[in-house]
Amino acid sequence: MTCACLDRDLDAYVDGELPAEADAAARTHLDGCASCAARLRQRQALKRALQAIPYFETPPGVRATIALRASRMRSLRRLGLIAAAAVVVLAAARTVTFLPLRPAPASDAAQALVDGHVRSLMADHLLDVRSTDQHTVKPWFIGKLDFSPPVTDLAGQGYPLVGGRVDYVAGQLVAALVYQRRQHVINVFVAPSGTATAGVAARSVRGFHVRRWTAGGMWFSAVSDLNEAELDAFVSALRSS
Amino acid sequence: MAGRRFEDAVMPHLDAAFNYARWLTRNDVDAEDLVQEACMRAMRFLASLRDGNPRPWLFAIVRNTWYSRQSRPGMAVEHPMDMQSRDDRPDDALDPEQQLAQQDTVARVRRALEALPAEFREAVVLRDIEGLSYKEIAEALRVPIGTVMSRISRGRERLLETLSVQSAPEVML
Repeated sequence: MTCACLDRDLDAYVDGELPAEADAAARTHLDGCASCAARLRQRQALKRALQAIPYFETPPGVRATIALRASRMRSLRRLGLIAAAAVVVLAAARTVTFLPLRPAPASDAAQALVDGHVRSLMADHLLDVRSTDQHTVKPWFIGKLDFSPPVTDLAGQGYPLVGGRVDYVAGQLVAALVYQRRQHVINVFVAPSGTATAGVAARSVRGFHVRRWTAGGMWFSAVSDLNEAELDAFVSALRSS
Repeated sequence: MAGRRFEDAVMPHLDAAFNYARWLTRNDVDAEDLVQEACMRAMRFLASLRDGNPRPWLFAIVRNTWYSRQSRPGMAVEHPMDMQSRDDRPDDALDPEQQLAQQDTVARVRRALEALPAEFREAVVLRDIEGLSYKEIAEALRVPIGTVMSRISRGRERLLETLSVQSAPEVML
């Protein structure tokens, strides 16, 4: 191999991208040619310096926005499927007219909460106050609700607060606090409650998990498509905060 | 619904996509916009990934998004940067040892890379910073492997030229 030949392959050699035979030929030439060996060292030094350039990190806000849009798009798709299924069911019901259409099952509280959660992920309804600071989110509710929900950031436990909004669930005005776990959104609905219950009630509706408990004269409901183990960890972090 | 989830297929490569976007745009604001728009496209066209390798696929989307943004009216065209700025050069008032100490090698290589024309810059970034194979780079850039080889080679050649103007490369690196 000549110097000119190696010249063409020098970078591929440095990158370990030469086929075995060409790689061996290049190595033999480099062993015997001081000037090519010097150029090789230069290339290797450059490569090391390039590899030492720090990565530009994704700003957390950008990451959160993308994750939110992805989960929102999935919810919309899921809703689209439900709508498509409903059309099929209705079409079937129409052709089989002797089958009486049953009334929809009475929507219970969990159902209403999941609806509130799904609705929040559609359109731009998730956050009215966008802040990771509990001291910004809590006062924001003043004047909008006749109660003051406790607001705690759980970023330290891996569940950052991203904001809040006022929502309307099952005929009641509620505070919704929004937390995030990776790409999953957790809505925590809070409203005054006349009754106190012990422990945490668990429900799952259409793939969403609901945890409901009471504390300090209020009921809390956490709703998310997060897996149940992590949602439970979130709930216990929130309850012990 | 069959197919891969955006969260599993794409999110793990978000940092790589942002880093690449930042090297393409050379500023934070454009990189943030670019990576968000590219991810929206990736969500919409997730089906086209099939069983493919998500990294080159995502880089190709980032790249296409960037070039289509640039051709859009009203969008900023790549601004030539004043790379060889004074502070890149050793200060003549210092003795050679101090000059050497003053030269932050990585920072200078980074500036030299930033000053490379886009076609060489992205090839070198994909290889040496993102660690893609030649085959993956060919996939991301949609060019033959031979073209990848020559762009990497010429890119490094130019980098060494730029850096050797500033000081002897062996000392510098």
